[in-house]
Amino acid sequence: MAIVKATKTPERPAPISETSILGWLQKNLFSSVFNSVLTLLTTYIIYLTISGVYVWGFVDATFVAETRRECYDNSLTGACWAGVIDWLDNIFYGRYPREELWRINFGGILLAFWMAPLWITRAKGKVLVGASVVAFYPFLAGYLFSGGDKGLFMQVMVSAAIVAFVINMANAIAGLLKQQSIAQFVISSLGQTNAADKSQRNLLIALVVVGFGVAYLWQSSWTVEFVSWTKWGGLFLTLVISGIGIASALPGGIILALGRRSKLPVLRVLSTGFIEIFRSVPLITVLFMATTMFPLFMPEGFVLNKLVQVIIAVVLFNACYMAETVRAGLQAIPKGQAEGAHTIGLGYWGTMGLIIMPQALKHMIPNIVGSFIGLLKDTTLVSIIGLFDILGMLRSISKDIPWLGLHKEPLIFGAILFFIICFAMSKYSRHLEVKLSAGDRH
Amino acid sequence: MTNGTKEIPTARVRPKEEFNFFQDQRVRSAFYQILTAGIVGWLVWYLISNTAHNLEVRGMNTGFNFITASAGFDTDFKLIDYQPGVGTYGDIFIIGALNTLLISFLSIIVSTILGFTIGVLRLSSNWLVSKVALAYVEIFRNVPLLIQIVFWYIGVFSLLPVVKKSLDLSFGAERVILNNRGLYFATPVPGDLFWMTLVALAVAVIGAIIYRRRARKLQDASGKQTNTLLPSLAAIIVLPLAVYFATGMPLEWDIPTLQGFNYAGGTSVPPSFLALLVALSIYHAAHIAESVRAGILSVNRGQSEAAMSIGLKPGRVMAMVVIPQAMPAIVPPLISNWMNTVKNSSLAIAIGYSDIVSLFMQTALNQAGYAVEMVGMTMAFYMFISLTISFFLNIYNKRVQLVER
Repeated sequence: MAIVKATKTPERPAPISETSILGWLQKNLFSSVFNSVLTLLTTYIIYLTISGVYVWGFVDATFVAETRRECYDNSLTGACWAGVIDWLDNIFYGRYPREELWRINFGGILLAFWMAPLWITRAKGKVLVGASVVAFYPFLAGYLFSGGDKGLFMQVMVSAAIVAFVINMANAIAGLLKQQSIAQFVISSLGQTNAADKSQRNLLIALVVVGFGVAYLWQSSWTVEFVSWTKWGGLFLTLVISGIGIASALPGGIILALGRRSKLPVLRVLSTGFIEIFRSVPLITVLFMATTMFPLFMPEGFVLNKLVQVIIAVVLFNACYMAETVRAGLQAIPKGQAEGAHTIGLGYWGTMGLIIMPQALKHMIPNIVGSFIGLLKDTTLVSIIGLFDILGMLRSISKDIPWLGLHKEPLIFGAILFFIICFAMSKYSRHLEVKLSAGDRH
Repeated sequence: MTNGTKEIPTARVRPKEEFNFFQDQRVRSAFYQILTAGIVGWLVWYLISNTAHNLEVRGMNTGFNFITASAGFDTDFKLIDYQPGVGTYGDIFIIGALNTLLISFLSIIVSTILGFTIGVLRLSSNWLVSKVALAYVEIFRNVPLLIQIVFWYIGVFSLLPVVKKSLDLSFGAERVILNNRGLYFATPVPGDLFWMTLVALAVAVIGAIIYRRRARKLQDASGKQTNTLLPSLAAIIVLPLAVYFATGMPLEWDIPTLQGFNYAGGTSVPPSFLALLVALSIYHAAHIAESVRAGILSVNRGQSEAAMSIGLKPGRVMAMVVIPQAMPAIVPPLISNWMNTVKNSSLAIAIGYSDIVSLFMQTALNQAGYAVEMVGMTMAFYMFISLTISFFLNIYNKRVQLVER
């Protein structure tokens, strides 16, 4: 007689060691005597650190004061954040005229809007958005920040930038509402959907030309006051230098990397030499070279200002680092990809631009963002050669009479600011990596 | 078909390639190369001729005569004998180079040890410990090194007590003294017979190595394990000590003592040195920790599981199975980190430690004004170091690859 249990055995709950907090604690913190001691010790150290920082930075800290003496009167052991708060405008904008600050903020907002479509899934033509930012935004922003008399070239570029911005915004809105690109939207709303491709294109070009004309007339009616680059400073200057560096290091790096992997020996030797020279010396020597030797390189009477010298140095230096990153990405692409591209009849540029480079760049996104973070951090070096970037501003607080000798708090503030920016960037790059490699996972 | 002489195709002849000047690959490649070489050559010539002209117009000094000319300024930290007014600019170059090498060498050692520790802690099974290691890595990687250096200098080492209230780090023995002028520590001065102690030490070390080899051989042959650690330690400690005492303790200490307003005697390093050492070590340790972690994770999990299943303890699994296999993945980024340490030591200029950049490329250049030569020499120094390091790295990579296959 078989003994068969007719009823189903009721499910038992998972063991307490797997589900409860206690179980988690036992497994991850107190799995052995040694681990328990380690946990307790670490907890104690963390407690000491955090309570010390909390008391110094918040409980005993002074947030409102006129001078450092008042901070001391308030508390001897706490931080004196009042000095940092008093200097906030300087830390962010340098000595930029206070009534003109809107220009910097406006430039920043403009950039945010311009780049926003890159994050909107429904918007079309993302490559064009990116390219238009790199190609046109610098001119618009450059004029906005420095101001003064617009030359003919600047007038044309500013108008072009305005047109590009408007088209870009319209494109984003059309994408959001109708999921169409602006070109499709215009054509269909003018009832030209069935017209020949050529006449559609001519219509669009005509619209752009008219838009350019309107923008040109409009922009010639206003100017903004001239602000010398010597007044630029703070986080603003740091972002300008690193922004230009980032925007030009990637294309420069791609060109150098292609040169280094070229079959043509002259190109290869020259690119390799260039890359290796700049990679083997510290950035500070390149910056010194820029400030002491660029004036000697130039024809007599031609004077580059210090900011331009620094930017050239930063761009050259970072292009070489970026070149190595790109090269590593290129090496990771199997040879079959290039061979496949050749068999379907693509030439060198077709193979590189359509097949190899997109894959290589996608591979290297974390490293590229890592280089950008490095570039942003390295930009603080310009304070050594006398530009008042964010670090220069933070260090001048201690030389301001009311805040004489206030060193620690500004530096900690700067460290926190950089930490937030860099940490967010690296976290985002990891997110992007996961998102873009979704197709590769099985 | 009337004529009936239809041509019968014979063996296929390769159609004669028409030479098209504009489509031929060799012509194109030659053209591009000549074009590039021409542009670069012209650019270089243009810059050089401009420079030569500018130097002439401004009446600036050129040539390398300054190397033997005497330099009139002093430096607070030097490893060779130098007197201002007597020593030359060549000496200044050597002082700067040695200072750079010293600070880089020490930072590399500290950051490597610290980085390995934190990288391993990052993978600890203890949740809290691994999170603390993660916080360390993220905080110190994401704050610019220059801010850290300046912070350690101005915020820590310059705020130390004044000379009169110096901290005694040797618990009352007054051998290691720390104040806002720097760190002072006693230095041993070897006496007459001290070389015998060194010989004894060398003998003990060699003996220990031979003993260890024998034990290893015995284990390979018979499986018997011998305890090598205790005997070798005993030999290395006892033998030199015995010789040291037998020869009458021939070692004097040069002790820093308070004379007037400052300490004299012993060895001293300025606060800028300490700040740079601490900042470089901490910053690069965070980077090294990340590459150590990545290297360890690159080792297949089955390796450590297998090692544990044959009964090795966690520590030995790490030391004998995982780390040796992770090394090929750790070493290249580790060495590039070392190279970055050497390069980043140039940030000394921000806090006035006399490394090659601040001493030679800035102070000496401002004094003597040989801009092109001095910048060139400094860059050549760094290039020489990185070329040397990458030469050894390549040798290592080749060896590792050969072992693998």
